[in-house]
Amino acid sequence: MPVRRKVLAWGAAAAAAPALAACGESAGAARLTRQAPRRKGQKTRLVFWTWVPLQKAVALWNRKRPDIHVEVQIVPANTQGGYQKMHSSLKAGSPPDLAQIEYYALPEFMLVNGLTNLSEHGGDKLKDSYVDWQWKQGVFGGELFAMPQGSGPMGFYYRKDLFERWDIEVPRTWDEFRRAAVKVKKRGAGAHICAFPPNNAMWYAAFPWQRGAQWIRSEGDTWLVDIDSEASLEVADFWDGLLRDKLLAVMPDTQSAWYKAVQSGQLVSWPAAQWGDALLRGNAPGTKGKWRVTTLPQWEAGDNASANWGGSSTAILQGTQHPAEALEFAHWLNTDPESIDLLVAAGYGWPAARIDLKDTALGKPDPFFGGQRYNEVFQESDSHVDTSWKWAPTTIQSFEHIKDAFGRATAGNGSITGAMKDVQGRVVDDLKAKGLKVRSA
Amino acid sequence: MMAPRTEAAGDGAPGPASASSPPGGPASTAAPAPVAPAAGGRRSPRPDRAAWFFLGPFLALFLFAFVLPIGYAVYQSLLKVERHGPLGLGKPTVGFAGLENYALALQQADFVESFGRVLLFGIVQVPVMLLLALVLALLLDQLADRWAGLLRASYFLPYGIPGVIATILWGFLYVPGISPITEALGSASPEFLSYDNMLWSVANIVVWEFAGYNMLIIVAQLKSIPQELYEAARIDGAGPWQTALRIKIPLVRPALVLTCVFSIIGTMQLFAEPLVMRVLSPAVTANYTPNLSAYNDAFANANVYLAAAKAVLLALVACALSFGFLSLVTRKERRGR
Repeated sequence: MPVRRKVLAWGAAAAAAPALAACGESAGAARLTRQAPRRKGQKTRLVFWTWVPLQKAVALWNRKRPDIHVEVQIVPANTQGGYQKMHSSLKAGSPPDLAQIEYYALPEFMLVNGLTNLSEHGGDKLKDSYVDWQWKQGVFGGELFAMPQGSGPMGFYYRKDLFERWDIEVPRTWDEFRRAAVKVKKRGAGAHICAFPPNNAMWYAAFPWQRGAQWIRSEGDTWLVDIDSEASLEVADFWDGLLRDKLLAVMPDTQSAWYKAVQSGQLVSWPAAQWGDALLRGNAPGTKGKWRVTTLPQWEAGDNASANWGGSSTAILQGTQHPAEALEFAHWLNTDPESIDLLVAAGYGWPAARIDLKDTALGKPDPFFGGQRYNEVFQESDSHVDTSWKWAPTTIQSFEHIKDAFGRATAGNGSITGAMKDVQGRVVDDLKAKGLKVRSA
Repeated sequence: MMAPRTEAAGDGAPGPASASSPPGGPASTAAPAPVAPAAGGRRSPRPDRAAWFFLGPFLALFLFAFVLPIGYAVYQSLLKVERHGPLGLGKPTVGFAGLENYALALQQADFVESFGRVLLFGIVQVPVMLLLALVLALLLDQLADRWAGLLRASYFLPYGIPGVIATILWGFLYVPGISPITEALGSASPEFLSYDNMLWSVANIVVWEFAGYNMLIIVAQLKSIPQELYEAARIDGAGPWQTALRIKIPLVRPALVLTCVFSIIGTMQLFAEPLVMRVLSPAVTANYTPNLSAYNDAFANANVYLAAAKAVLLALVACALSFGFLSLVTRKERRGR
């Protein structure tokens, strides 16, 4: 009998351990940020999760600051697994010290208490180094929670050689874009002006943004959802027309099939963000010299409205033991001129730091774009981004809804307009389910 | 996330449970041992002490890795987050939700539909896969030993490839523009990634992955059939066809039942394959399968409590289906006797 009792006792002990741990169930991060004391000569090690290959910039930091060693760990991009990983690491109490988090996802991380309050560690002093609207992306309730990294002002990449060969004018408005799409289809033997990626809600959002729509606003303590606003539906209707006439290639973007179509000239333009340059350069090296960049087509002729696709912060997650060191590194990474040049080359986007284009690698003529100083276009675009656009704290979930609705629409089962109306209701439900005050605008 | 078992289809990674069924070990796979009815009659009133000693490690592991996670998932499914402060961005607290999460999950049409989808999937995929496994096993049994070993190993090989890798591999064969299959077929090529075909494209991957594994279980059972039966059949003038139909297939029934239960559980848990395919095609929605739906809630929606409720519901359905199937099969068996 004693053996039996012992076995049962062990079993009970094993059973009790997690049950006891569960009593401390917390709503957000399982571990809270606490500054570990730093002794002289002691090396601090920081872990940084990102999906952009920025090892060169980090290597430079590690050479300059051997006392604070940063290790880059590449994770899957954003909603393709990166955020999932971050959320579970927070929940499990084993987060990295730093993580790349896009602006739209910051409210979501705030909602689970996943970010370190940087104002408590002297982050506010660094404000003047950054572009104001990007700085504000990391500010919640007057406190700083993430260091701005970069944004993605939109532009229009196009194949100059093919547009010339087929005698097509570069579109200045979306109407002209439509006419160009018809010509590309007629003269291009199977080519399309661009792809419509049903998987990319973020890409799509740039167009209502450019039109002056606002998918979400806050009014007092209430969230106002306005995805089916007039401006938003007008944009949806435009894309519906292109899809109905089969003027676009429907395929997920930045995936192997899409890259192949870009390489072979099956896709001849790409309305995309500044950081798209690195993707084209890296994945379609054979098209070197054939690309040019111009401003995004306009909804109203003569306008200069722009929008933003992407935009990341370097966030310091809740649970780090080295917030001060992490802050120091994040600031260096995003403002040091040498680092910025390396980040730009890695495709990290338009810097959030106040820079003078001429002083950085961004201002140089680029042989991939036929010697064009193409970033001048993006600098112009950046100054016309409507910075009042906001993201909901359930944006990742909203993107999933849009993805599903666009998938159905592009398969001939519904429309983009219908998708917007459908998503409107779902987003209201999501926010409600989170216990937030919400109403349809 | 909690899940009843990780054998058979769906989970992808070959779990520890599947590794414990040695290839070609007739004794270990001869009968669905865990579900055999309790032997009545001659049993000592007090179990041997030594039995507890041997059972101990298993029980401890079972408690720690199986019972506890289930308990924890059930516990979590009863909680919810309460938000405070302006726009809900203040410090959140955890409160008791009762059955709210379950009600919420069952109100989601997408989630309920996903059960229908995996059921449809299972009704088609499981018989196809098991039939293929059975045919392969019978053919192997007919072959000379030297070739049988080589072929058995190669049929089993896909099982050694993790589900994610297998899906990426098949993904390349499905995506138009890259796929040599669509290129060779030209305009006659089916759209593998379309809404109508996606479920069967996934089914194809799962068949490819697990037919060899199931075949191995059936082969093991075939090897355990006494040779005298074959001799008797031969004397009675039975050819290879008749031997297969009248002797082999009825006698591998227990193995078929076992593989079928594994496959039902695996089908309910379908996850890795659709998750990877979602990147390639929007036909796989965020709530394509119950498991994917729970995953989406846990990580895209950052609501682990709702995800836990969904996982518990999934486990209940998987449990009901596999036990339902077993009782159906054994009832027939009892009647047949």
